[in-house]
Amino acid sequence: MKKSAYILLAVLALAAPGLQAAIINKTFCIGSLSKTLSGKSVNFWGYSDCTGGGGGGMMGGGGGMMGSATVPGPILEIGAGDTLNLSLMVSMMSQEAAPYNGHTIHLHGADVQTMEDGVPETNGNKVNGDTYTWSPQEGHEGSYPYHCHVHTVKHLEMGLYSAVIVRPRSPSGAFLNQLNQDFATAYDYSQVYVLSTVDPAYHTASGDSTVFADYNPQYFLIGGREGKTTSAPAMTLAAAKGKKAAFRLIGMHSVNSTFQIKDSTGNAKPFTVYIRDGRALPVPKTLTSLDISPGQRADLIVSLPATTGTWYPQVTYKTLRNNSPYATVYGKVTF
Amino acid sequence: MLKKLGLSVLLLIAQNGAEAAVRDFTLHIDNGTWTITDIGGTTLAIRGYGAGAGLPTVPAPTLTVNEGDTVNVTVYNHRNAQHNFVVNNVTTDTSPIAANGSKTYSFVAPAAGSYLYSDTLNNNINREMGMHGAFIVRPADNSNTTWTGGPAYMHERTWVISDMDKPRWNDVAASGGTVNTAVYKPNYFMINGLGGFDAMMDHNTMIMGTLNEVTLVRIVNAGQFSHSLHFHGNHFEVININGVRQPEPFEELDTINVPPMSVAEVLYTINQTGEYPMHLHTAQAETANGVYLNGGATMIMMH
Repeated sequence: MKKSAYILLAVLALAAPGLQAAIINKTFCIGSLSKTLSGKSVNFWGYSDCTGGGGGGMMGGGGGMMGSATVPGPILEIGAGDTLNLSLMVSMMSQEAAPYNGHTIHLHGADVQTMEDGVPETNGNKVNGDTYTWSPQEGHEGSYPYHCHVHTVKHLEMGLYSAVIVRPRSPSGAFLNQLNQDFATAYDYSQVYVLSTVDPAYHTASGDSTVFADYNPQYFLIGGREGKTTSAPAMTLAAAKGKKAAFRLIGMHSVNSTFQIKDSTGNAKPFTVYIRDGRALPVPKTLTSLDISPGQRADLIVSLPATTGTWYPQVTYKTLRNNSPYATVYGKVTF
Repeated sequence: MLKKLGLSVLLLIAQNGAEAAVRDFTLHIDNGTWTITDIGGTTLAIRGYGAGAGLPTVPAPTLTVNEGDTVNVTVYNHRNAQHNFVVNNVTTDTSPIAANGSKTYSFVAPAAGSYLYSDTLNNNINREMGMHGAFIVRPADNSNTTWTGGPAYMHERTWVISDMDKPRWNDVAASGGTVNTAVYKPNYFMINGLGGFDAMMDHNTMIMGTLNEVTLVRIVNAGQFSHSLHFHGNHFEVININGVRQPEPFEELDTINVPPMSVAEVLYTINQTGEYPMHLHTAQAETANGVYLNGGATMIMMH
């Protein structure tokens, strides 16, 4: 593990002597939490950032000194060319019995070496803590999910997911407010939309239960919140007229979905998708509707109009069988 | 094994006749059973197309031809019900083959690419119970290119994805009952008729190769659900969706959504050594009746 990290660092140092690459060391812990969804309490597991916390998990549900677990977990921002050393501390009792004990962090879409991939079936069942190293190269800016890859059908559903955003850096090392090194991707505001769905039956089942053969989502989330109406949105962004807002969509749900941005009278507004799955599209696409399936991502920009108003970015969750809608979850942008 | 042998014989005939412009195939429609092995596995009642009488397989035999060939497919229906044989986006005759009758479908192989054939009758029940397969069209010169003048590849894999609702569809239909098609809750998910524990070791399903080798993966979703396929290890290039060649440079993704009755072709390049899974990213589609990883999953072995 450490050896490969050193090799990567050495390669980086040789390849880009002028680059102001950072080494980012983070430690995550895992805890339990409950969320109230549509008036019902649902038990979740979540990651927390316990960097420098000196342990964590002492309280069983706390997970560390630097803050307790959340769903989604902490959103990390790193630069293209940086090296992320993301450590997972698993110090609490196993939340599931073997063979589904322990946890990992899978950096989804990072295309890292097998031992960094967080998959117990290929990493020698290393599920009781590990350090995952990733050095995304320039050109791979964009949005990446991370999630636990132990008994994924259960552990992802339980809330062990969030996102790593890979941002472009200027020659001096500062983050650029662009999606990547292309100036056309400049934005004034940005927001991460983590898409997820909840079947409470999955939250109480464990092991090889037949419950996991039948997914019946009851709650539909963006950023861990329901946002059932435009007056109670899951996400809000206070922007300014005439500016550009970037949205980063992270598909951690388990059904089909469609993203749109609508004005207050329901008209779908165009936006431009520049990056899919951490790779720049050869030709950016201007759309009024974008499907995001489980595991997919998109980084897009919308130009806000020159007059004040309110728009509603929104995700409609749909069945896998025939795309009939389950529910729409609303965000809100004022400008 | 016997079932696999029938498929191999068909493929051999096709390969030996590489110069021939006429390709003759025979399929037999029968009732049968299909077993998903290991934990969570089961034996499903199926009806399917087979290379020989009484040997229906899931998926049905892959039919491989070259662009421009004249294709003759003779289908013997040994069941006491009507069936048909339709190559999606290629053939148009949906009229039935009579119970215990036969019919020959003749058509010219379309543009190089991957296509789904199935029985389109009986409100999707026939397709769900196994009557589906891949129809592969190679370039006219039979070269390992995606199409004439298109990108070259070294290996190719065809992944026919399927899902089955054993208690509500297969069991009910096989016992002569009426399936309530308004409800569909599949509890088995397969790639090439295999649960994950087999598909992760099956050399005709796994991606295998050494550095810089390119594999063309033909993803054919014969199921009733959309399936979102996530590849670990590297991104892939999307080259063809439902027969529509994508412009170059190709878009790169690590996850692709393939709706029911749709096809996608992707190029996966080995860029490092290691062992990586490829799996469906929806919750239950990774399982066999709830048992993790015996659903839609295989492996990518990069040496």
